[in-house]
Amino acid sequence: MTTLSRPRRVLYSALGVGVFLVLWELTLRSGLLPGTLVPLPSAIPGVLWLELSDGIWFEVVGSSLAHYSVGLLVGSVLGILVGVSAALLPRFDAAHAWLARLLRPIPPLAWIPFAIIWFGVTPTAAAFIISIGVFWINYFASYSAVRSVDPGYDEVARAFGQHGFLPRLAKVNLPAASPGILGGLRAGLGQGWMTVVAAELFGIPGIGQRMMEASSLLATDIVVVYMLTIAALYALLDFVFMLFQRRMLRWQP
Amino acid sequence: MSAVRSESTPVLNARNLSLGFGRTTVLTDVDLTLHPQEFTAVVGTSGVGKSTLLRALTGLIAPHDGEVTIPARRADASRAWSMVFQAPRLFPWRRVRANVELGLEGLGLSRAERRRRAMEPLALVGLEEYAGRWPHTLSGGQQQRVGIARALAVRPQVLFMDEPFSALDAITRRRLQQELVELRRRTEAAIVFVTHDIEEAVSLADRVMVLGGQDTGHPAGVIDTVEVGLPLDGRRDHPAFSALVQRVEEMIA
Ligand SMILES: Nc1ncnc2c1ncn2[C@@H]1O[C@H](COP(=O)(O)OP(=O)(O)OP(=O)(O)O)[C@@H](O)[C@H]1O
Ligand SMILES: [Mg+2]
Repeated sequence: MTTLSRPRRVLYSALGVGVFLVLWELTLRSGLLPGTLVPLPSAIPGVLWLELSDGIWFEVVGSSLAHYSVGLLVGSVLGILVGVSAALLPRFDAAHAWLARLLRPIPPLAWIPFAIIWFGVTPTAAAFIISIGVFWINYFASYSAVRSVDPGYDEVARAFGQHGFLPRLAKVNLPAASPGILGGLRAGLGQGWMTVVAAELFGIPGIGQRMMEASSLLATDIVVVYMLTIAALYALLDFVFMLFQRRMLRWQP
Repeated sequence: MSAVRSESTPVLNARNLSLGFGRTTVLTDVDLTLHPQEFTAVVGTSGVGKSTLLRALTGLIAPHDGEVTIPARRADASRAWSMVFQAPRLFPWRRVRANVELGLEGLGLSRAERRRRAMEPLALVGLEEYAGRWPHTLSGGQQQRVGIARALAVRPQVLFMDEPFSALDAITRRRLQQELVELRRRTEAAIVFVTHDIEEAVSLADRVMVLGGQDTGHPAGVIDTVEVGLPLDGRRDHPAFSALVQRVEEMIA
């Protein structure tokens, strides 16, 4: 495959989106599809403006981000903590291995019943559900990252008097595993965001609840506004994290 | 001179050392006593167990049999021993200077002192201007020289060097050999120097320990320990030099 120059790539990508939007608009206007199924693309900016000026957009996005950040923080911290410990402490590794294998395949959304029983229909319940998926991603990423650290580095550390568990953790295991750990964090960032909407579907205020409300009124335009919001916020988050990741890993070739 | 030496207390004592991996023994019956300022070269064919011997002498691996005594760390900001590894194994996540500082951490030095103690040996190996670089931006030989600086920075009582100059061009190698001769005069350190270059061994060392004699199912041992006994200055031009080199070569062949 021949590669395109960067400006050309951007041009063709923009062209693809443009053609898609125009075809969408034309299909609806020509009556090929009924307007109740999908909104007109040209109507979206106006609806977005309404949601913004009402303050609804800020309210629901704010609460979703709150669930998300709590779930993300808890899931990431615990995932890395347990993953790194399991990789370094053979007894702990063995003790929890079967338990982890048993719990791992349960999807985050299957925890909704328990989330409601334990926390009620509260933001905590949403954060809990979000944290589960994030936890597993970080757990596996950090576990395998630490496990695959070249033992040669550890030997160097010992040769230069760094004997304790903590000095070696801080000076060898964590930095050597940081590419994998950061990769896990970034994947968790996406996974957590994907579960936000689902975690709010059962009545916890946020983007998910707003979308359910809108769909019951057949306000497909509002649904699309929040779909785009989800996509845009994710792109922003991922971009910012990518910059952070790049800065942390600037030692890599 | 040997009379003077046997009066001083040895810095390292290995008796009846036997080492290997799992059930295979690689090397047996090694005895070695080092006094301050003594320079012992270890030669032998590839795979005979030279690197393994250094690991066992330093306690990085446990010997199958025998005993090693190595001094404790003195109260001053130095270490009992340090090692130039055969592969430089710099920490890629630390800049060059931070790599050299590794062994200085935990010695109770201030940041500024650590920095000064790291820059000194970096200047010695000609890499002062590279202090702020990431290791992957250095050539293989430059990385090896950082590994040498890292080992020198801790002012060890015993300095182990595993083929430290093998990745270097002839000119740099000769210069660093000269530096090593100078270093011997300035420090108390005993040096154990592994090389496959017999001329290098004979030109630098007080004595050359020749390893070999392995056969299928029969581990290697010390063939002989040759006392060099030639003055360090202009040693390569000494009439007895090439005969000595030849003698060692014949032992290995
Ligand atoms: N981790 C290991 N596990 C099993 N065998 C090993 C291991 N490391 C080395 N060996 C074996 O032990 C023997 C000695 O290896 P060592 O690295 O000490 O050789 P060497 O004399 O330093 O060789 P070279 O000059 O090539 O560096 C070799 O036969 C090697 O295959
Ligand atoms: Mg070796």
